[in-house]
Amino acid sequence: MKNDRAVVLVVEDDPLIRMGAVDLVMAAGYEALEARDADAAIAILEMRTDIDLVFTDVQMPGTMDGIKLAHYIRERWPPVRIMVASGAAILAESELPMGSLFFSKPYNDTAITDTMARMLAS
Amino acid sequence: MPHTLLEPAEAASTLAVVVASNEPLLFLTEDLVVIAASSSFCRAFAVDPKTVFGRHLKDLGHGEWKMPKLVSLLKTTASGSAEVEAYEIDLVRPDQETRNLVMHAKVLADGQDGPVRLLLAITDVTVARAEARHKDDLIREKAILVKEIQHRVANSLQIIASVLMQSARRVQSEEARGYLQSAHHRVMSIAAVQRQLSGSDGDTVVMRDYLVQLGESLSASMIPDPECLRLTVTVDDSVVPAALSVSMGLIVTELVINALKHAFPEKRQGLIAVDYRSEGTEWTLSVIDDGVGMDTGENAPKAGLGTGIVEALTRNLDAGIVVSDAEPGTAVVISHRGAKTQKEDLPPAA
Repeated sequence: MKNDRAVVLVVEDDPLIRMGAVDLVMAAGYEALEARDADAAIAILEMRTDIDLVFTDVQMPGTMDGIKLAHYIRERWPPVRIMVASGAAILAESELPMGSLFFSKPYNDTAITDTMARMLAS
Repeated sequence: MPHTLLEPAEAASTLAVVVASNEPLLFLTEDLVVIAASSSFCRAFAVDPKTVFGRHLKDLGHGEWKMPKLVSLLKTTASGSAEVEAYEIDLVRPDQETRNLVMHAKVLADGQDGPVRLLLAITDVTVARAEARHKDDLIREKAILVKEIQHRVANSLQIIASVLMQSARRVQSEEARGYLQSAHHRVMSIAAVQRQLSGSDGDTVVMRDYLVQLGESLSASMIPDPECLRLTVTVDDSVVPAALSVSMGLIVTELVINALKHAFPEKRQGLIAVDYRSEGTEWTLSVIDDGVGMDTGENAPKAGLGTGIVEALTRNLDAGIVVSDAEPGTAVVISHRGAKTQKEDLPPAA
């Protein structure tokens, strides 16, 4: 699919939170893709070359958590912007790759879409 | 004949004190030959009391006291060059649990030019050490558990917030959307307390951090143009119990939502000022706007859920609420004045 809309991949294991995040991304006017864990996210990133931003949870089942996934993406697909959200209140931003942003859950929808717009514009 | 070494008779009283000591003690010559051992020592380390006198330290029991480190430490002590203070050593015996021991050794000098005598006190700290380790483990486990619970609470609140916002984006009616957004703000207000708690050790919340964060969150989601409308939060150094902060946060949320809904029609510019301060048990929370003021009389809006929430929480906090005309705008001041019941708690005058 080729169009002007930015493509955002939502990675989240909880179905309702994932559904909400996808809805939020679409309401903001982006194309939303979804994955329930890091492995599924990587499979999608390998298939699609048009992903602009990944919005990921931290604690997820599977071989990688969101922090490992963020580093993996930064290594393999450096241009992809990364946003990380977690229920663990304070996560050292130093644990995340440079340039990625952290949000604690429950996040403010407006703050998420504002940040997405800013990151996608840069 | 090793016994001849002990020729100079020890004071009977010294020996009696050593033998009767509750703490395991060994009374030794300079060459580490045992003059006396306390019954407690024999009991604690399973050494036959009849076999101790005149025996070298390294031959005690089954030779388990033949520890090169201990021997060299005692020799240094005997020569007067050092004192053994709380030296830790493990007693290893075949077929028995290793014991963690703490040693104190001292040269006994009674002012006479007699032979050098050593007093070795041995404390068995195996149980205490195990208990301390166990306690550390429990504390660590508890910290992990608390973190895990906070994590789950945050996740659950996220689920609720996500569902509410999805509904808000889907409904057609503006009024219904407003209700859903208000519900979302209430959830976020409680979530902000949770976040403050997870950063603190106890069950208290720093009001400034909390209300400032709450204000930022309300501004971000409710004020489309910060140039036009501003929300300021000023708070003193108050630290309050978590339960109280939850109520305060909900009251602020309701009052701010209310001001945003009614005080600034048609993109009117303005300011909403939230202020909290306390002194002792007294506190005052105010939310003041410079909007169009409240309609009174015929046109007064019907009290909604928000008003109900504010009134219920205020009553519960034993506080009073005063709504006045701020010319322009509306001032809502909620205050709690000292403990009214204090008088009854005082003892009757004699």
